[in-house]
Amino acid sequence: MDQQTKSRAFTGRREDSRLVTGRGAYTSDQNLAGQVHAVFVRADRAHATIRSIDTEEAAAAPGVVGAFTHELLDELGFNQPQASGPMKNGEGEPLFAPARAWLAKDRVRYVGEAVVLVAAETPEQAADAAELVFIDYEDLPVVADVRQATAPDAVQIHEGAYAGNLAFRSEYGDRAAAEAVFASAPLTAKVTLNSQRLAANPMEPRACVAAYDAESGSYDLWSPNQGVVTMRGTIAARTGRPADKVRVHPRDVGGAFGVRGETYPEYIACLAAARALNRPVKWTGSRSETIITDYHGRGVLLTGELALNREGDFLAIRIEWLADMGAYLSGHGPQMRIGAPGGMAVNSYRTPVVHGVNKLCFTNATPTTVYRGAARPDASYLCESLVDHAARIHGFDPAQLRRRNMIPKEAFPYTTPTGSTYCSGDPEGLLDLVLANSDPAGFAARRRASEARGKLRGRGLAAFFEPAGFPMVEQTTIQFKADGVVLNSVSGPSGQGHETVLPEVVADQLGLDPADIAFKFGLPDTELKGGPTGGSRTLVAVGGSLRNAGEQVIEKGKALAADALGVPAEDIDFDEGLFRHRSGNASITLRELIKRHAGGEAHPLDSLGAYSPPQAAWPSGVHVAEVEIDVETGVLQVVSYLGADDFGYIYNPAIVEGQVQGGLMQAVGQVIGEEIVYDGGGQILTGSFMDYFMPKAEDTFPLQLLHHNTPSPTNPLGAKGVGEAGATGGVPTLANAVMDALSTVGIGHLDMPYTPNRLWNAIREAKAVRAPA
Amino acid sequence: MYAFTYRRPGSIEEASQLVTEAEDGKLLAGGMTLIPSLKQRLAQPSDLVDLGRIPGLAGVTEETAGLRVGAMTRHVEVATNPLVRQHISGLAELAGIIGDPQVRNRGTIGGSISNADPAADYPGGLVGLGAVVRTNRREIEAEDFFTGFFETALETGEIVLSVLFPKPLKSAYEKFRNPASGYAVVGSMVAVTDGGVRVGITGAAGFAFRWAEAEAALGAEFSPGALAELDYDDSELNDDMHASAAYRANLMRVMTQRAVARL
Repeated sequence: MDQQTKSRAFTGRREDSRLVTGRGAYTSDQNLAGQVHAVFVRADRAHATIRSIDTEEAAAAPGVVGAFTHELLDELGFNQPQASGPMKNGEGEPLFAPARAWLAKDRVRYVGEAVVLVAAETPEQAADAAELVFIDYEDLPVVADVRQATAPDAVQIHEGAYAGNLAFRSEYGDRAAAEAVFASAPLTAKVTLNSQRLAANPMEPRACVAAYDAESGSYDLWSPNQGVVTMRGTIAARTGRPADKVRVHPRDVGGAFGVRGETYPEYIACLAAARALNRPVKWTGSRSETIITDYHGRGVLLTGELALNREGDFLAIRIEWLADMGAYLSGHGPQMRIGAPGGMAVNSYRTPVVHGVNKLCFTNATPTTVYRGAARPDASYLCESLVDHAARIHGFDPAQLRRRNMIPKEAFPYTTPTGSTYCSGDPEGLLDLVLANSDPAGFAARRRASEARGKLRGRGLAAFFEPAGFPMVEQTTIQFKADGVVLNSVSGPSGQGHETVLPEVVADQLGLDPADIAFKFGLPDTELKGGPTGGSRTLVAVGGSLRNAGEQVIEKGKALAADALGVPAEDIDFDEGLFRHRSGNASITLRELIKRHAGGEAHPLDSLGAYSPPQAAWPSGVHVAEVEIDVETGVLQVVSYLGADDFGYIYNPAIVEGQVQGGLMQAVGQVIGEEIVYDGGGQILTGSFMDYFMPKAEDTFPLQLLHHNTPSPTNPLGAKGVGEAGATGGVPTLANAVMDALSTVGIGHLDMPYTPNRLWNAIREAKAVRAPA
Repeated sequence: MYAFTYRRPGSIEEASQLVTEAEDGKLLAGGMTLIPSLKQRLAQPSDLVDLGRIPGLAGVTEETAGLRVGAMTRHVEVATNPLVRQHISGLAELAGIIGDPQVRNRGTIGGSISNADPAADYPGGLVGLGAVVRTNRREIEAEDFFTGFFETALETGEIVLSVLFPKPLKSAYEKFRNPASGYAVVGSMVAVTDGGVRVGITGAAGFAFRWAEAEAALGAEFSPGALAELDYDDSELNDDMHASAAYRANLMRVMTQRAVARL
């Protein structure tokens, strides 16, 4: 058995019986006395000047208590300009963050932008009245995509943005060195790829309940979120209120994937309306509102160039990301698009020279933000497509080309040319595991067999190295209460399994039964510091904090044990739940100490833990997949998938496997069908499940997951983070397999998603070219 | 949803009168298209006339001319009915792959054909099987029933009572689902009858139609290979982001071939 995996019988996740039997409590389950219902009037066009907004008729409609525009937000001081943040490029130019009114003012910039909030006694009355709002628009030219946006004569969406509708442009690596290498490189390869816009589509639609307490001047918000403290901070900043006058309440969250970490305009507008009306305001978005106005994921045009010598050594890589930010900057969208391309530039390879350019670009479309993998899948997709392309055009075996360039395990910790420090890993070990278990030698025969059945078969390999977690302090408490041990954390779950795995971490350390430990999260009045659930940080950060609290419990326990046993505390050891006198037989269990000192308001063992990871931990993996494409219909099927991953120390193997499965389903969704499509006028064509594809049960595939773990030296748990690996590994692996299959009919490039229609048409055209009549 | 007046007639005559007299009346059968349209405020009828309580509209019965399927018969009943499975297995197959289990347990044949969604399954089935639609006023051949994009030969106040399916010698249905919605991008009903081979196509164009060239080719040689060289002129076919016209024409051939291969 793998030494780095905790052996633990899987008895199901503790939260699941509640969540899958309808006993979860989501935002729309929240109701407050006297609440009214909000409906938003949204921009029906992508780019237009607002001449006037007439809410008179709507305000007079039955049941309506108010119809609000940006004027209310201005009046309350809720339209605080977004801080540009500390991000600056090498020339000292800051990120340009346009001012944004949370209900559109003067101009609308994307379809679905909220313009008016109508509040009424019932949702139906609000919806009826919303149709009576009249907005007089004057249409403006539309910038529908990044290519248009950066064209020389493009309309500028924001005054003050950099030329070409850019919010930011930065470089990393060594331009001159890269130019020199490419000028003399014996071999080069270049790809341009589109990582298309996606809707995250959490099962729970976006919603909120907002309330204002006139006496204390404080605001309360219930909404699906990824961290109450983080959201409290952004709401305070946007409304100009002190943070102690804002409370964000935790509920069950029906999927988050990054997009639930944003503080959306609707929340600010509902808080303002609650203040104006002095009544709670509830809003529940429809599925279409969720698809159209939840900030989108991905949306990057990727270009990569690789220089090699004739033996196949990577000499340099050049990268450009042109990221589609949409009409405004989201809270978390810019950061990863600036950091990840350079931070992950060399993937698992010893490529010595790197140069890259990042461009963040405005378009007349919904803003984009982080989504399952948060730029990591884009980075791995670019690098691994490029490596495969280089192998194909220059006649290298894709596995051997990768092996030749992989960072050897002796080189860890390894610092990349762009300054990332990979904590631990063994890429070649992962590759060995994948090759040993996926029968590469038999592929040619499998391909022939598929072809005999009218199917193109492809095999795709991809490696990745990705950052998980980031330095940010996380505070937790361990409290010993009458009915059991309670862990408190700021960071709450949205399906990950916090309630199962974090008690296990504490139980392991303290020798207790996980069943006696309960995990609580996100108390609205919490004074604990902490961040969001995201970036694969929870086990390292929250687990690390609990580990710190647990150490304090042990130290305090030694003092109590010393008293109980009549020996000096420094002579007491703690192991497996037992305090034992080092030179005698005297001992007492932690359980007994907990019981003896119970009854008071606070327990003497109660402890406050704090931990901030010093740097990211770096999970890695090598994945391989085989796909078949039915030539008659273009239908793509994943026939096998094998992942070998390094997640550091694994605490709960079943939860790890579930996380990888979920990420892989989101990867297969992107590869085979998901795409937000805008037409040239900025109208969205995929605004419901009639047109927006989601992966379904029938799209699952045979999956084998193996581990080759190297514990991370960056944190006391040795853990690395697992939340994004399925997407980061899955997108390039599956895309490479598809392109390998298509290469057999001479197709060198095709954009995702690989829908049956797109594949069939591409194959038909390729065959027409190859077999002229 | 906008407000409307809900009507629950006890007879076809009453239903016909209510829907005729209403300012903008709509008949409600299974509601699988109508209710979502109402919820999204895409339809605003003044009156909703619910056919659900009218006796005698549901069920499958055998007649000399074939099987009569009542207008309010749910898809799941057609899919599992022993008479349908025995005599018109292609129809049972078709009903068994409409939408999802929820849709199959609510949706009805009368509602589906009256709505005449170009991507619905039943229209292709009716045309392919040579069915006759019986209304409260007349009998209409399936080929004359579907007249356009969401358009039928039904007049105001005319209500589908049942569909009469002649028994073919054998039949099979194949469809290609839209990966997003699950609706038919193309569906093909192939029926071998005493009068020859019939092929009914749904999804490809504005409404369901018989594919005469395929019928002729299969009449000459009933095998998938007989269709190999058959290219349908796609200039009149639907063309959208989910499926190009050329792709739809290809799927017509492939789905028909796959149905033939099973017969």
